[in-house]
Amino acid sequence: MAYFLELLINGALTGLMYSLAALGFVLIYKSAGVPNLAQGAVVMTAAYVVWIMVSSGVPLWIAIPAGMAVMFAFGLVVERLLLRRMVGQPVIMVVMLTLGLEILLRGLVPGLLGSTPRSLDLGIGFAPVILGDVFINRTYLVGGTIALLLVGASLLFFRTRIGTKLRAVSDDHVSSWAVGISVERAIGISWGLAGVTAVVAGVLWGSAQGVDWTLSMLLFPAVAVVILGGIDSIPGVLVGGILVGVLGSVIPGYLDSYVGGGTRDVVTSLIILLTIMVRPYGIFGREDIERI
Amino acid sequence: MSALTLENVEVIYDKVFLAIKGVSLEVGKGEMVALLGSNGAGKSTTLKAISGLLGPERGLVTRGDVTWDGQSLLGRGAPERVASGLVHVLEGRRIFGHLTPDENLIAAWRGGNSGRFNELRDQVYTYFPRLKERIKSKAGYLSGGEQQMLAIGRALMTEPRLIMLDEPSLGLSPLLVQEIFGIIQEINAREHLSVLLVEQNAAATLDIVSRAYLIENGQIVMSGSAEVLKANPDVQDFYLGGAGKVDYRNVKHYRRRKRWLA
Repeated sequence: MAYFLELLINGALTGLMYSLAALGFVLIYKSAGVPNLAQGAVVMTAAYVVWIMVSSGVPLWIAIPAGMAVMFAFGLVVERLLLRRMVGQPVIMVVMLTLGLEILLRGLVPGLLGSTPRSLDLGIGFAPVILGDVFINRTYLVGGTIALLLVGASLLFFRTRIGTKLRAVSDDHVSSWAVGISVERAIGISWGLAGVTAVVAGVLWGSAQGVDWTLSMLLFPAVAVVILGGIDSIPGVLVGGILVGVLGSVIPGYLDSYVGGGTRDVVTSLIILLTIMVRPYGIFGREDIERI
Repeated sequence: MSALTLENVEVIYDKVFLAIKGVSLEVGKGEMVALLGSNGAGKSTTLKAISGLLGPERGLVTRGDVTWDGQSLLGRGAPERVASGLVHVLEGRRIFGHLTPDENLIAAWRGGNSGRFNELRDQVYTYFPRLKERIKSKAGYLSGGEQQMLAIGRALMTEPRLIMLDEPSLGLSPLLVQEIFGIIQEINAREHLSVLLVEQNAAATLDIVSRAYLIENGQIVMSGSAEVLKANPDVQDFYLGGAGKVDYRNVKHYRRRKRWLA
């Protein structure tokens, strides 16, 4: 029972940390209306940016906000240089473009900054938190809490004036222009915000498993989270994250010893497949409103 | 003095398709003008050339000039044109379906959280009281007429001096068309707002505008005051569904040519 509880709690916390990586995906989809398959590499890049600053002696409490500023600017630059040309093009072009960006960053950033895993110490400590018989990973506990806060903040953000405009842009680009909303700026802001959340995800994951290119592999669970939760739903990120985390922890916890490991990715892929077959828009995703 | 002037405007899509071929028209301050024509005549293209929405469809103004308040609009982005007081209500309503009516209005408002916003919003709800009843539901679930009202209300939130309406009567019952046209007239009269109304429904349109242009195959073929156009026999036959009773025994078996094509 303690084993099950441990898998459950740690799985849920890991899931919340997945939510953190997935949040950027949803932010962009909810405001620009395009999927961002580069989110994994953006998280990795964010972790590298913070690590560079920390390793050259900048204290953490400056490095993280500075990293956020850098990644916000990075998002704006991506919009200006790449996405602005995609206006009026089919969505598949944007999908391919972001996928290309993912591959480029995966190679480029570790290539330039070193591919051996670097440690990023947040001062959280590695001793597990012990609750009765259950051992809880301290980094995941902190990460899960921060994920909850950030998801709450995003929910509030989309109720603001700017947030409403971003949602309008995701609904219809042309009518946004027609009422004077700058679609380009809105997309830029959404990529910038995704960059900011990527800093949080990158720093937490980086401290949990070290900063190297494998951070970009977070794209895979993040995609599972958004597909399960609903690609444009902020609460969906939370629920999807917890479900993906729990299933990806409990099932391998019992199965791995029989099949020799590696079932977590299988579980994640199955989640993606089953969701698309049973409920293509996810748990909380919006259905397209069709009126005749 | 006219507020909006199009001089010999030519629009080409995809670098090959010539959609409008030298359209010239004028809309004066506070004037209500219609642009009539059938499907594919170039009405929507003309509006998009004015509002700057040709880009996403890979269209380009290749000749001529669009001036607003004496300044050329070409080369300015759509949001900038909206800020200068032009607004375009798109064909097919195109409201933000996943937002509530209220959020639709918020999205179109440029400024901050000020009293002016509340004033404008109350004004919109006075024109369209029906929207207020549906304030909580997603705009995508509103009826066609309500969506059209919302689209117009949303455009009014940009504080325009010229509103361009692309087929507001599309898919609406005659009664609703009358209601919406009545409101457009009221807005035009009360706020001294210029209106450029693009329509296929010539009969209803010519009753409310002061002047009209007739566009066919990307060219303006006729223009004049609403009365003159209404009295024109060709307009009557081709756009108003015939003026008097038709004696079907005497209907000739060839299609009459439009006189202006000769």
